[in-house]
Amino acid sequence: MKQSSLTILQCQVVEEDVPMSLAELCRACDAESELVLQLVEHGVIEPQGAGPQAWVFAGTSLQRTRVALRLLRDLELNLQGAALAVDLLDEIARLQRALQTASGMARQP
Amino acid sequence: MKFKDYYQTLGLPREASADDIKHAYRRLARKYHPDLNKEADAEARFKELGEAYEVLKDPEKRAAYDDVGKRWQGGADQAPPPGWDSGYEFRGGQADGGGFGEHSDFFEALFGRRGAQAQRRAPPRAQDHHAKVQIDLVDAYRGAQRGIRLQVPTLDAQGHVVLSERTLDVAIPAGVREGQHLRLAGQGAPGFDGAPAGDLYLEIHFRPHPLYRVDGRDVYLELPVAPWEAALGATVDVPLPDGSVQMAVPAGSSQGRKLRLKGKGIPGKTPGDLYVLLQIAMPPPANDAQRQAWAELARQAAFNPRADMGAK
Repeated sequence: MKQSSLTILQCQVVEEDVPMSLAELCRACDAESELVLQLVEHGVIEPQGAGPQAWVFAGTSLQRTRVALRLLRDLELNLQGAALAVDLLDEIARLQRALQTASGMARQP
Repeated sequence: MKFKDYYQTLGLPREASADDIKHAYRRLARKYHPDLNKEADAEARFKELGEAYEVLKDPEKRAAYDDVGKRWQGGADQAPPPGWDSGYEFRGGQADGGGFGEHSDFFEALFGRRGAQAQRRAPPRAQDHHAKVQIDLVDAYRGAQRGIRLQVPTLDAQGHVVLSERTLDVAIPAGVREGQHLRLAGQGAPGFDGAPAGDLYLEIHFRPHPLYRVDGRDVYLELPVAPWEAALGATVDVPLPDGSVQMAVPAGSSQGRKLRLKGKGIPGKTPGDLYVLLQIAMPPPANDAQRQAWAELARQAAFNPRADMGAK
């Protein structure tokens, strides 16, 4: 294997600094825009702005879109099912954090 | 090479119908999908399921596999078909969960690397790549420089695809949180014909810490205190991920009392808070003088912690 190294790279935190256009989100998720439009229609992601050309997606859309696309592809879900699953996964993650940080639970592995 | 029992992977007998196969796959795929199942081996299990399903759902592949299976179990030496190691299908991102992009050597020996699902068409612009990165909580407090090793496919002089290793030195910014993504512009797949390179996205995860739990920007710490510190109040040292601070424990604190150190969570425009959960720790077995002191306290306090239960 060849080795190469570069100088120190600066980066942006997507969720904080990087509002994304439809085209950028599609590229970052390797998805067709029609499919992303359908995710918007089903409320999986909620852009700001009037019309697809002007849409701006919050950085948090990246993760939700990627999870939804994987579920659609791998589990043969329909869009409504994938949208529900993404919402439930977020809720489970929230509950798990709450459980973990609740008094008396913090020492659990 | 080891024979892979795809029927066993799906928990099915060899005479299973196409419907049985579909049902078993759907059920197990939901169970082991890496987005739904956070167990460490879920991703590997899910890939095995995908591969088994890809073969058994296709009547031609299934027939070929069954045929090989009979001979294999008959003890015949199974030589891979000629040219089985030519070509290579690569899927971007070393840690991209799910998908059927990767196949076992067994699969590739049987069906060739191009037996895999159709190659992706060449995208007009270079692809963005994704990878996961583990950092320590302290890195989120101070920022950090991390060498990140990625394997990327490149063409060698003969035009063959080879994997080369690339190390990126990335400045992880202070204030980054679990599950966030860092974007490195132009560090994804190279562009062809003058097209710009794709971007690289790094998904941030914290290594589990023995002391701290993290919820978004906020950090939680269980802090042991002596019974008399909780009773009388005390000033105690609180270890922080990037240092330590002194904190006043108020007199009369109960077990589990939550104290907030404002702004001592993960830094940022709105820094998080650090919550200290008091844990009253009993001292080890006492000598006579200490036992007498406890007995004296018991007499003086006349305290029944079970009074609310109506019990003595």
